[in-house]
Amino acid sequence: MSEVSKGAPGRSTLSLHKLGVFCGLAAAVWLGSAEAPTKLVNAGFSPFIISMGMVMGAFVARWTVPTLLKGIGFLFQDLRDKPHLIVWALLAGMLWAVANTLTIFAVRNVGLAIAFPLWNTNSLVGLFWGWLLFKELRGSGFKGWSKVLGGAFAIVGGAAVLAIATASRSDTPGRAAVGITAALGAGVLLGTMYIPYRKAYISGMNPLSFVTIFTFGELGTVFLLTAVNLGGVGSLVAELRRARPMLFWPFLGGFCWVIGDLFQQYAAKYIGIGRGIPLSNTNQLWGLAWGALVFGEMVGLSPSGKLLILTGSGIMIAGAVAISMADPGDSELVNWKFAMDRECGRYGLNTEQVAAVVAGDDPHAGNAHQRRWWEVLVMCAAVGIFVWLALGTRAQQISISLQWTFVLVAGTLVPLGVCGTLLWRRTRFS
Amino acid sequence: MKRSTLVCILTDVHLWVPVVILILGTALLMTLR
Repeated sequence: MSEVSKGAPGRSTLSLHKLGVFCGLAAAVWLGSAEAPTKLVNAGFSPFIISMGMVMGAFVARWTVPTLLKGIGFLFQDLRDKPHLIVWALLAGMLWAVANTLTIFAVRNVGLAIAFPLWNTNSLVGLFWGWLLFKELRGSGFKGWSKVLGGAFAIVGGAAVLAIATASRSDTPGRAAVGITAALGAGVLLGTMYIPYRKAYISGMNPLSFVTIFTFGELGTVFLLTAVNLGGVGSLVAELRRARPMLFWPFLGGFCWVIGDLFQQYAAKYIGIGRGIPLSNTNQLWGLAWGALVFGEMVGLSPSGKLLILTGSGIMIAGAVAISMADPGDSELVNWKFAMDRECGRYGLNTEQVAAVVAGDDPHAGNAHQRRWWEVLVMCAAVGIFVWLALGTRAQQISISLQWTFVLVAGTLVPLGVCGTLLWRRTRFS
Repeated sequence: MKRSTLVCILTDVHLWVPVVILILGTALLMTLR
């Protein structure tokens, strides 16, 4: 659990704080990019079906790249060592599913401009739970508090400004009270979802294992909620069939979401939820970049609107910079260790081993886990579903800027390469 | 899973905070629907 730990012999000496910050920012890029494919879906489909498609895509995507990184044998070993955490990973997936459905209600009733900043307060909720339950920021001085809290508020404030600037383009004003309640509810649920995240990582669980169980909880709950909202399983299946020609796009969004969420998990592991979540919440900037540059959503925006976008982005970036510079001091790290000791004592975990994993030095990370032949089949089946969906996709009548698409795709792949390499060199993805 | 682990899970405040929030969130969703 020590920040002074500089990695196992032969590994990178990058500090865990810097690694966590990079992961938080990479998460923002990929979570923001996850919105782009869904913009290619023509109108006429229920938002529940689009959400369901994205979650199905995330579920399938989990068995592609992450399986390549760590085999299924490693996953089973990790779950066998900490079986109690399966409960929390499922719970986190369920919280996400309910929160995501609430955001649909929020956007329908008050529009994105009001709804987005309200549910973006999830980082403040997460920060509170991190402080209360996991001793994050305890022992941190005034300077540390101001950087983290100030940064988190700045990111929420920046989100509010950006949302106002883009309001006239995406809103459908309606029943205000319902929408505001739904957005605030989503914020509380999403913020609370980070309790399981942090618990898993101070217990030494691997993010790849956590995400796997998370997707089961997520898919099961979204399936149930969508079936209830559409009037039964029969209607859900019929809607999915109707949506078949466009289903590849939400699936692709789900793929980006899994990569983004994995980086978010690593950020929560190495810098805590108080710092990691506000950083990944800057994803709105990337969503905005896709909307404005690729889909031309800001064409004809007034000069004052453009100024608002620049202001909101500037505030958000300043908040992210403040958090990036808020390294936890020794006294705060002692408190992090108390939180870890609680888990080890309560669930009979090996403190020494957990401390090593938490510090990114999992003693088993470098070991080659035996790969089974059917793992290849699982990966091929997952990739095959994506290919099958892509082949049956109908061309969408929507104009995009190819030039900016290449730029943003490159801008999305670079953090993947850089951050993936840093994670491998420093922690072997532990 | 051992019985003692189950007891530890069921008496863990880290479980009940998210569970209560999940129940309240689901209730809110059903009310708004």
